[in-house]
Amino acid sequence: MRRVTLPPRPDWTQQVERLGFAFHTIDGETYWDESAAFAFTLEEIERDIEAPSEAIEQLCFAFIEKALASEETLTKLAIPAEHWDYIRESWQRGERNLYGRLDLAYDGRGPAKLLEYNADTPTALFESSVVQWDWLEQAMARGTIPHGSDQFNSLHERLIAAFKALREPSPYRLHLTCVEGSAEDKGTVDYLTDCALQAGLDARFTYIEELGLLSDGRFCDGANQPIETLFKLYPWEWMFREQYGKALAGSRCQFIEPPWKALLSNKGLLACLWEMEPGHPNLLPAFFEGDPRCATLSPRHVRKPLYSREGANVTLIERGKVLDSDDGPYGAEGHVLQDAALNLFSEDGKYAVLGSWLVASQPCGLCLREDASPITKNTSRFLPHYIEP
Amino acid sequence: MKRSTQIGLGAAGVLLVATVWSMTGEDPPENLVYNSLSECQTSGTLSREQCETAFSEAAAARLKDAPKFRNQNECEAQYGASGCSSASVGGAQYFIPALAGFMLARGLSGGPAQAQPLLPPTTAACPPGSAQPECQQARSSSSGGSGGTSGRSSSSSRAYSTTSGRAFSAASGATIARASTSSTSVSSRGGFGSFSRSFSSSSSS
Repeated sequence: MRRVTLPPRPDWTQQVERLGFAFHTIDGETYWDESAAFAFTLEEIERDIEAPSEAIEQLCFAFIEKALASEETLTKLAIPAEHWDYIRESWQRGERNLYGRLDLAYDGRGPAKLLEYNADTPTALFESSVVQWDWLEQAMARGTIPHGSDQFNSLHERLIAAFKALREPSPYRLHLTCVEGSAEDKGTVDYLTDCALQAGLDARFTYIEELGLLSDGRFCDGANQPIETLFKLYPWEWMFREQYGKALAGSRCQFIEPPWKALLSNKGLLACLWEMEPGHPNLLPAFFEGDPRCATLSPRHVRKPLYSREGANVTLIERGKVLDSDDGPYGAEGHVLQDAALNLFSEDGKYAVLGSWLVASQPCGLCLREDASPITKNTSRFLPHYIEP
Repeated sequence: MKRSTQIGLGAAGVLLVATVWSMTGEDPPENLVYNSLSECQTSGTLSREQCETAFSEAAAARLKDAPKFRNQNECEAQYGASGCSSASVGGAQYFIPALAGFMLARGLSGGPAQAQPLLPPTTAACPPGSAQPECQQARSSSSGGSGGTSGRSSSSSRAYSTTSGRAFSAASGATIARASTSSTSVSSRGGFGSFSRSFSSSSSS
């Protein structure tokens, strides 16, 4: 794994905009950054990222089985008790999942380590699937990177195939939703809508604020159309606690991601997996805050709220001293403490985290985000990658 | 190879913004409908180039396929008082129905969209003096030929006809679901989304 400085395409803005990439610059700061790229060997991709991602996903499935049978675990994960049966039923029915992103620490040395699992509402999807793919083709054509380079990225075709198989009979009617006012979220959902249409589905977008409840218990979109299947880029932990949380169980709606993903998108997962498989090569030691075993953690560790996104409220601690933190509104439900990864990629004061994509639980793509601090935040830049020929 | 062999982005017209339903009641495919080139470009679903390509395809198809009349009265009898314009086709002068809009139909296989011209509604669908609002709107929007309705008429539908004379109506420029045939009523709205308003950061990760 190498970080390679490269000349950006002189017309990169037009090139990415022609793909419909609307958030390459966020709040005036570059988000899509092709002034460098990460180069991997095929062995690094297959042995160190793809295989461990599949192994972690299997471990997560084993964890769900155990957690759903344990009130203690569900309580520790701060899942509201009134939704336990709803989650159990979604798992027992075998409701399929679409996608997720494992965030990994890896610098080419030693096994990749799981930092967290964005199992419920991952973004950076369109830029991973389409924009960096197009960059690769153009970078090869322009001679910026060697001909015959490749990329760990079959996201697009996997998403289309997964949409077809999420529900039977297929094609089915699919609604997609996210909050109003976030260009990044809307861009992600627009891309997924496109994939769903290419899968032959009857796909319709509606903002989550527009959702209504019909007199027969079903949800409906802004045009009062009943919703049978809903892709929601909106976290389960919020849906459980909002006004319509009570209506979920009676809604006869198949959600994507399914409710059982709420157990994985929770940072408590990190402590639970370590408890199940202490010493697993791809896991970092982690415990719920307050567990006496926290004393066994290394002096350099990270404190993460159970629910948090984009690095919010994550704190890096060394010998009791806060080295880096990100403010945010999370943390009321509790925290986990996790050893800081020793193999987080860093070079010249830049830190990179790998995002390993799963579609229908199959590893099939990679993205890298870089920041000037060890905590990846919503200001991090997206850098493309390639596999050296 | 570890990457996709191809990426069909938007088998372009695939990103839906409009729903079309047939006046004959059959369940039609969904399509993109725009009243003008500028409406297509401002809606942002397709790129400016895609809009231009679609518009030129539709304009060319109109000249080729639209019914042709030797005189203005005959044309206006079918397409309304401001629904026709003169055109030179193969060296001869004709009156043909105006280009009231264009439509990108989604292929059944999800293949690339084909741009089709949309003509004003025929008098069979919108009799002269009809009070139906979509007839009024379609007439007025077609008066400038390909001209200039702007903005998004998100709550109304318009009537059109195709070059083969089929009538239908479409909402243009915004996501409109097909009219619901359900008899259930909406008992409340807005029960999700409150957390996102109280959290400044994104709801995704």
